[in-house]
Amino acid sequence: MNVARRGKPKIKPPRKHGTTFNAEKTWAELANNIREIQNHDASNLSFEENYRFAYNMVLHKEGKMLYDGVKKLVAEHLDTLAKDRVIPVFPTGGQDDPMQRSQEADIFLKALRGVWDDHISNMVKLGQILKYMDRVHTKSEKVPEICEAGLHLFLKHVIRPPIQQHIVGAILNQVRFERDGHSINRSPVKGCVDVLLSLDVEPSVTVYKRELEPAFLRESETFYQAEGAKLLETCDAPEFLRRVEARFESEDSRTHHYLARQTAAPLRQILKDNLLTAHLATVISLPNSGLDNMVDTDKTDSLARLYRLFIMVPTGLPTLKRSLKESVARRGRQINRASSGAEGVDAEIDVVGDEGDRKGKGKARPVANAAAQRLALALKWVEDVLELRDKFVAVWQSAFDKDREVESALNEAFQEFIDSNERSPEYISLFIDDNLKKGLKGKTDAEVEAVLDKTIVVFRFLTDKDIFERYYKGHLAKRLLHGRSVSDDAERGMLAKLKVECGFQFTQKLEGMFHDIKLSGDTMQAYNAHLAKTTAPEINLSVIVMTSTFWPMSISASPCTFTPEMARTCKSFEQFYLSRHSGRRLTWQPSLGNADVRAAFNAATVELNVSTFSLVILLQFQCLDEDAVLTYSELQKATSIEDRELQRNLQSLACAKYKILKKHPPGRDVDKDDSFSFNAAFTSPLRKLKISTISSKVESGEERKETRDRVDEERRYQTEACIVRIMKDRKHMTHNDLINEVTRQLAGRFHPDPFNIKRRIEGLIEKEYLERCEDRKSYNYCA
Amino acid sequence: MAEDAEMRAEPSDNDWIRVTSNDGFSYMVKRKIANVSGTMKNMLDMDSKYAESLSRTVPVMQRGIIVEKMLEYMAFKAYYETVGPKEDIPVHEYMERLPPEIVLELLLAADFQEL
Repeated sequence: MNVARRGKPKIKPPRKHGTTFNAEKTWAELANNIREIQNHDASNLSFEENYRFAYNMVLHKEGKMLYDGVKKLVAEHLDTLAKDRVIPVFPTGGQDDPMQRSQEADIFLKALRGVWDDHISNMVKLGQILKYMDRVHTKSEKVPEICEAGLHLFLKHVIRPPIQQHIVGAILNQVRFERDGHSINRSPVKGCVDVLLSLDVEPSVTVYKRELEPAFLRESETFYQAEGAKLLETCDAPEFLRRVEARFESEDSRTHHYLARQTAAPLRQILKDNLLTAHLATVISLPNSGLDNMVDTDKTDSLARLYRLFIMVPTGLPTLKRSLKESVARRGRQINRASSGAEGVDAEIDVVGDEGDRKGKGKARPVANAAAQRLALALKWVEDVLELRDKFVAVWQSAFDKDREVESALNEAFQEFIDSNERSPEYISLFIDDNLKKGLKGKTDAEVEAVLDKTIVVFRFLTDKDIFERYYKGHLAKRLLHGRSVSDDAERGMLAKLKVECGFQFTQKLEGMFHDIKLSGDTMQAYNAHLAKTTAPEINLSVIVMTSTFWPMSISASPCTFTPEMARTCKSFEQFYLSRHSGRRLTWQPSLGNADVRAAFNAATVELNVSTFSLVILLQFQCLDEDAVLTYSELQKATSIEDRELQRNLQSLACAKYKILKKHPPGRDVDKDDSFSFNAAFTSPLRKLKISTISSKVESGEERKETRDRVDEERRYQTEACIVRIMKDRKHMTHNDLINEVTRQLAGRFHPDPFNIKRRIEGLIEKEYLERCEDRKSYNYCA
Repeated sequence: MAEDAEMRAEPSDNDWIRVTSNDGFSYMVKRKIANVSGTMKNMLDMDSKYAESLSRTVPVMQRGIIVEKMLEYMAFKAYYETVGPKEDIPVHEYMERLPPEIVLELLLAADFQEL
């Protein structure tokens, strides 16, 4: 209304307020009225009158007297209230009965809240009357408004010792009572907490923050320390986790319902520290109910709870991961032990076999058994691994929320224990071999897919993929050569999967093998057509032409002197093939072939399916008398077959289930001074027999060493090739960079040892592919 | 507007507040208008239960002319407080209606009434 007006100013002075003013008298009346108000008797009082009292006092510069007077009145009133209503209901504290203590606390808190409500409503009313003072006097004097002054007074006169201690004590008592599992009346507690929250001791530090919260947190800490120890002592792991989770929930609801939100975080921290962090490792490894047991008994709920609780604390996830890894590793060790236990069994069986030998029975059967058993163990190993993997994946999916970190921990653990079994590449290959050979019969395509997919999962854990490749190649070659594969589609499916996993390079040779088989089919058709036109040799021949680089067999053929008819037959094919493809060389691999031969025994003629070597051995007896005896060395001279192969084939002919030859002296093993004769008395219920060469499916120690050596050799070449490839590209590189790059590139196939890489680099320097730079730390590529 | 209200008002109507001057005039205004003044608002606060809030009568210790102009301003303010920012507020017209002789007295009253 600040108006500047034009025109003639004819402003009259305002009339004087009242006639006379007496500060003391006005105050006396006002003070009287204020007391009335404090006694809830305002309805007889005129607001206008009281407001005018205050107004006049402020106008007449008596604001200070008014302000201080009101404060004194309020303080007096508060003292009275505290004396009359709060102090009489102090909790006695000495009671042993917690129920009674709780009730006392309840009453006390209610009374306090009552006083607070009373005080606030009084202050609102006073604030209204003294509004003019607040507007004019308090501002210029820079003292708090009367309402705020009221809060200070309340703080000073009510929230003081001993009342304050009683408040904190009563609230803590109620909380403890509730924690012990009883129910309390929450609203008075909340009422008082609110009071404490709205009172500031210092700017933005409430009484709650200063007094109640620290005490509460201290109390909680003690409580939960004891609680944690108690739970650990009395509960098994699932129960512990359930209780702990319940505690978290109840504390959360507590802070939510009647404590301040600001307490939630520190309180939660206390819970985490005392219930979780302190006991994590103990709980997870409790012998009969910890993680292991939960996984064993498929307690998905408990595991999920475990995960939920563990991810709350920073040390939780690592602990969980460690335990999981330990669990997997332990189970893995068991599986590994079970399979390596076979070695022990082998030895035992050997001993038993020897004993049986002396008794003149048993013969070669234990060997076959042991081989079968070893194969079974290999298969069992893979199945066990798959089962274990399934189990943990299921747990991971259902309980661990598909946590990425947990997954990688699991993968690591699997990788570790699979790697720790040095035979795992062989076992996995054997498993696939077995499945593709017979296991897939009668299964639908989808099931086949599922089995192969799972196998690929295990395959992924292998570090030494090149060893696997070697075995797989061997097994695949045998399958292809003997036509043992059940389904071409399944084979190709597996190949496709490997290709996806390891790239084109990995499967190139495998695919080449398939290609060779197909080409050979075509060649044989053409050859048979060719034979029809010319004179055919006396032996029917079926040939598979293998590209030497694709197939795992050694290029140099194992020596074997063919009988003249055999040699003629071979010659015939050789001529045919070389006429179609010039510039190629054919090498015969008798060790891989087999033959059907009709043998005339005394009783009947039986058709025998034997290996090519065995055929050659048998043919040595063809033109001899029935009882003629050939010694081992004679046989060797005639056939020029290597010792090992000769022994193996003689064993299968003379010592296995069907004894086509007689060994002198009889026995299970073939020695170099044994001699043999044709067993004309042989009888068989079947017209056609398959004499399988005794060969162990799982490699023996010596063979494994050989494979190992070959793998190492191949690795050397690969490492060198890789180094050259990289250096050709970069021209110049430091030693460490080169090592890193080589490791990275080879990691898909195997895990190269830096020391070996270094040796290869030295080798390449010698061969002058590379040269060392002057700084002794880097290399140049020499074109 | 205040006079109109006086003529038509029913004392029993809840929403009407009686404002009296010290020379015997009385004016009826809507509670909403009375609430424009902080002092009147507190005076009529139903929670505090002062005598004025029970009788719904507000005594103003000023002459009728002052009370009248003050209420006019309060009505003016209550009305224009809620209009949109684009609408023109005729402050000038209100100024024209203000007799200069009572301006000082009106200022004092306004101070008292927390306007």
